[in-house]
Amino acid sequence: MLREFLALTRREFIKLRRNPQAIFTSLLLPLLYLLLFGQGFNINPAQYLPVGTPPGVIQDILHSYFRGAPNYYSYFSAGMVGFVAVTATLFLGANVIFDKLFGVFKRTRGTPAPSAAVFGSRLVAGSTQPIALAFFVLGLAVLFDHVPGLKGLQVTQSVGVVGVIYVVLAIVLLTLMFATLFLTFGVLIDVPQTYFAAVNVLNLPVLLTSDALYPWGSMPPWLQNISQYNPVSLAVNVLRETFFGSSAYPYSPAVYLLGLLAWSAVLIGIALALVRRALRPLE
Amino acid sequence: MAENHGAILAEDLVKVYGGKVRAVDGVSFDVRPGEIFGFLGPNGAGKTTSVSMLSAGLRPTSGRAVVDGLEVSRNPEQVKRHIGVIFQESTADGDLTGRENLEIAAGAYGMGRAESRKRADELLEKMHLGDSSERYAKTYSGGMRRRLELAVGLVHQPRILFLDEPTLGLDPQGRAGFWEFIQKIRQENGTTVFVTTHYLDEADTLCERIAIIDHGKIVATGTPTELKDRLGGDIVTIKTATENPDMTGVLHALPGVNSLQKKDASYRVKCASGETFVPLAVEAVSKAGVGVTGVIVKRPSLDEVFLEFTGREYREEEGPTATDRAVMIQRVQQNLRGRR
Ligand SMILES: Nc1ncnc2c1ncn2[C@@H]1O[C@H](COP(=O)(O)OP(=O)(O)OP(=O)(O)O)[C@@H](O)[C@H]1O
Ligand SMILES: [Mg+2]
Repeated sequence: MLREFLALTRREFIKLRRNPQAIFTSLLLPLLYLLLFGQGFNINPAQYLPVGTPPGVIQDILHSYFRGAPNYYSYFSAGMVGFVAVTATLFLGANVIFDKLFGVFKRTRGTPAPSAAVFGSRLVAGSTQPIALAFFVLGLAVLFDHVPGLKGLQVTQSVGVVGVIYVVLAIVLLTLMFATLFLTFGVLIDVPQTYFAAVNVLNLPVLLTSDALYPWGSMPPWLQNISQYNPVSLAVNVLRETFFGSSAYPYSPAVYLLGLLAWSAVLIGIALALVRRALRPLE
Repeated sequence: MAENHGAILAEDLVKVYGGKVRAVDGVSFDVRPGEIFGFLGPNGAGKTTSVSMLSAGLRPTSGRAVVDGLEVSRNPEQVKRHIGVIFQESTADGDLTGRENLEIAAGAYGMGRAESRKRADELLEKMHLGDSSERYAKTYSGGMRRRLELAVGLVHQPRILFLDEPTLGLDPQGRAGFWEFIQKIRQENGTTVFVTTHYLDEADTLCERIAIIDHGKIVATGTPTELKDRLGGDIVTIKTATENPDMTGVLHALPGVNSLQKKDASYRVKCASGETFVPLAVEAVSKAGVGVTGVIVKRPSLDEVFLEFTGREYREEEGPTATDRAVMIQRVQQNLRGRR
């Protein structure tokens, strides 16, 4: 089992290494968001308050609007980390479908390698790039804070070891969850068009019902309500609480992590059951 | 597991696709250990479907497949360890080198890195791919690609090989070369080979026994010689100078004649042996005062056998057949690879 898994994982890494364009293009989207969208969209509700509003009131308003983040960019760039973890896993399922079209998947399935090794190798190898990308986005956003003329992510409280662990867990869990989901789509679907349709049907609603991009204070209550159960929001909340403090959040990061864990457990459970069925030795 | 088993046993195999297409309709045969067994049939006859069921790729709708003494439906994983399959379409990963393709296949059979590398070396050498082992498979020629497929199929030293149209799209040299490899492997390891092919001359010279499948049913089984003999011997065409007088009676009276057809001034005779028939026929016709202007002796080839049993050379199919699909996929693959 381990040898089969390692061999197939090696293949995934070779493929990744041979395709630097894919890595480059995957950088493009977060770069554009960080450099343009976030910079251009840096809302500051305080500027619309009447002159003479007491500083304490301004503070309170900003605090609830950005849930403790000092400004929109800080709030948004933490959201981008979650956003990237989702969008960067999209190609994983597409790769499975192209391998089916090229006959490569048939060869793998002709070997006695267990379905867990076939799926697991793609999950593990395939998740490394999105996870790396998420940390890259995080690092870049923090770096921008020190570049004159650019907004950046301002971490307003010290992040301890526990905080780092929370952030890593949130990013890894979120990525694994969506990687599993899209890989499952790839295993179940044979036609690229169908895959991309399915992915879009899932991807946009998930991202747009999360609070990854919207300022919390600008969301209507019903959307806030939905978004608090959204797995992307859960992961992003862990990051924001760790970076900006817990005062604007009803629960501790651990609770959000547990929520994310529950989501992952359920979705990964369903997905693996479907995959195991689809990859049975005799279909 | 019985010790005294054949290599492959198909018992009343049936595959119905989507509840209506009876692709394989009650196929039974057995293949002896070490034998090279040909499975012939027109496009869409059910060859690939049969291979898939025998090689643990597809569950039969009904019937039984036993491979190397193992019940396929109960031990698919085990069966996969005993067999090598060359699929009709290419399965090599074009973005990987020939060596990487082999090493990863070896790993998928549970071999460690060192063992995989050693096995890859051996096979690359044996398949004359040593010089191209570090090139991406997408740069391989058709013949090299088929040899790589064969190497991948042999990576775990299977006792039984399933080859689904392995020489499809190869030029005559490529085909001859490929079969040399197969013969060498058989000599060295006593490997049983089950092969489907459209090239009847290949089947004739290589296969010890042949089954012809049409519309999902086996219509004939036997050695190539047996099958040809069943056609009723050689076909001799005698051309005469004039249509009259009619020589039908004269020719029919000669020994060894099975049937006779007259068309204009030509007589098409099926007879046991062309060699003995021709001198007698020429003498008899000349004696009757008719000049013989030409003689053609044709030994029945598998082509005639094929036509006789399947009715036509190719079948008009609704929708693309597996061969069409394989060729189409190859084209798409080449296009995509060329563009990358
Ligand atoms: N997945 C499928 N779903 C539905 N019908 C199928 C499927 N695969 C094959 N068929 C049909 O089953 C029949 C047998 O197909 P099969 O591929 O076994 O033929 P074949 O003898 O291998 O043909 P070829 O010489 O073209 O490779 C054909 O009519 C084909 O269209
Ligand atoms: Mg076929």
